[in-house]
Amino acid sequence: MVTRIFVIDNGGQWTHREWRVLKYLGVDARIFPNNTPFDKLVEEGVDGLVLSGGAPRIGLKEELGRCAEYLDRADFPILGICAGHQFIARHFGGEVQPAEVPEFGKVEIIIDAKHPIFKGLPKKSIAWASHNDEVTIVPQDFVILAHSESCRVEAMAHKERAIVGLQFHPEVEHTEYGAQIFENFIEMCKE
Amino acid sequence: MFDPDRFVDEAVKDLKEQIKGKALIACSGGVDSTVCAVLANRALGENLYALHVNTGLLRKGESEEVKKLFEQLGIKLYYLDESGRFFEALKGVVDPEEKRKIIGELFIRIFEEFAERHGIEYLIQGTIAPDWIESGDELRETIKSHHNVGGLPENIKLKIVEPLRDLYKDEVRKVAQYLNLPISERQPFPGPGFAIRVVGEVTREKVEIVREACSIVEEEIEKASESGKMERPWQYFAVLIPVKTVGVHGDKRAYGYTIAIRAIDSVDAMSGSFSRVPYDVLDRIATRISNEMGDKVTRVVYDITNKPPATIEWE
Repeated sequence: MVTRIFVIDNGGQWTHREWRVLKYLGVDARIFPNNTPFDKLVEEGVDGLVLSGGAPRIGLKEELGRCAEYLDRADFPILGICAGHQFIARHFGGEVQPAEVPEFGKVEIIIDAKHPIFKGLPKKSIAWASHNDEVTIVPQDFVILAHSESCRVEAMAHKERAIVGLQFHPEVEHTEYGAQIFENFIEMCKE
Repeated sequence: MFDPDRFVDEAVKDLKEQIKGKALIACSGGVDSTVCAVLANRALGENLYALHVNTGLLRKGESEEVKKLFEQLGIKLYYLDESGRFFEALKGVVDPEEKRKIIGELFIRIFEEFAERHGIEYLIQGTIAPDWIESGDELRETIKSHHNVGGLPENIKLKIVEPLRDLYKDEVRKVAQYLNLPISERQPFPGPGFAIRVVGEVTREKVEIVREACSIVEEEIEKASESGKMERPWQYFAVLIPVKTVGVHGDKRAYGYTIAIRAIDSVDAMSGSFSRVPYDVLDRIATRISNEMGDKVTRVVYDITNKPPATIEWE
């Protein structure tokens, strides 16, 4: 059976790119607005969820559509990107603040801990980022997976559940190992 | 992966289903609208009206090339020179969003007039994904209003059909290659044309300057890439910055505009890194622009910002 991964649209510039990368990797990918009820996603046969980025300032705002509901109820993997990642941190008790040095464009990602999402990636690689805020305190149940020169939490993962957050954008053509990261996420969704 | 063969079949089928009657397609000569025209021609035949509007904001020799292209494609092309109306509408306008909206609306009004004359109900547009993504919606911020989406007026008499909506430029190019179109590798050119490559107010004089400078940038970069000196960038052009600076031309003071060269590498226009154009190529471009344009241009600069944080076009 084909894997179904849905992209939750939080209004990002690259939401549609996430859909495209997943589609290219042979997944049944679809975009849903972030006010879609959780039950609807289940009805449609969801195997995994990507929470896209978007302009909302998570450091300054508490809600992001129905993303809280998805995080509370999902028994399938969730990948949060940029604002999606920041929302995950905040939802599980971490903290998000305006970044001391925001990152726009090219950054070097340095992997700190092993995780299935980074399978096959070298310790250092180039990625594209675009954010004003960042995760300053990681929730208790999470570990930091990667950092960059000016951002301490470029990636984090839940210790028990299949929930991963990425501050950078794997869906962007300029991110060196972006497609690999999505392939890894698809593998997580198949398990 | 993307399959152009399947895409063409489905798009032609969809166009046949969606359009009952006559449709208009506006053709700039670029990859998106030309692909659309060929698909629509297959779907609609004689019920398709292809129209090229000369806005006065196009590249050097553009309208002539479009006419030739459509002759080659065997699609009848209607031609309107509306440059006077575009310059008139842009008079005194400085804000880039306002410029884009004025141009978007004027295009629609011209299409409506044409449609009324020919009893046309539908408008086919070559809108691609970045156009509507960057134009914004209920969820998304507006980065810039693309003339064919965010620049559209609210009251439009035509029904809009957009067969390429979910594609990015690299996918449209694959369709163009599959259709054997000679323009499949043409670099993108924005619908509002030089109106958004003249920063600030648009005048005929400034458009002339930037058009000439742009043609020099294109010539030199294409020459350098063909001779293997560099890879051809995704997009390469000139922008006129309405800031005057001092030069010295033949022992005399000159006081002219600034031209910025922009060359950027991308795959889908959604992210980009500035091209590493060799210094001697930049040198030649700068020298030619200053020499050929006399005291109209006294300074040439090179744009070294990526996207993000910058966008590809300056406005």
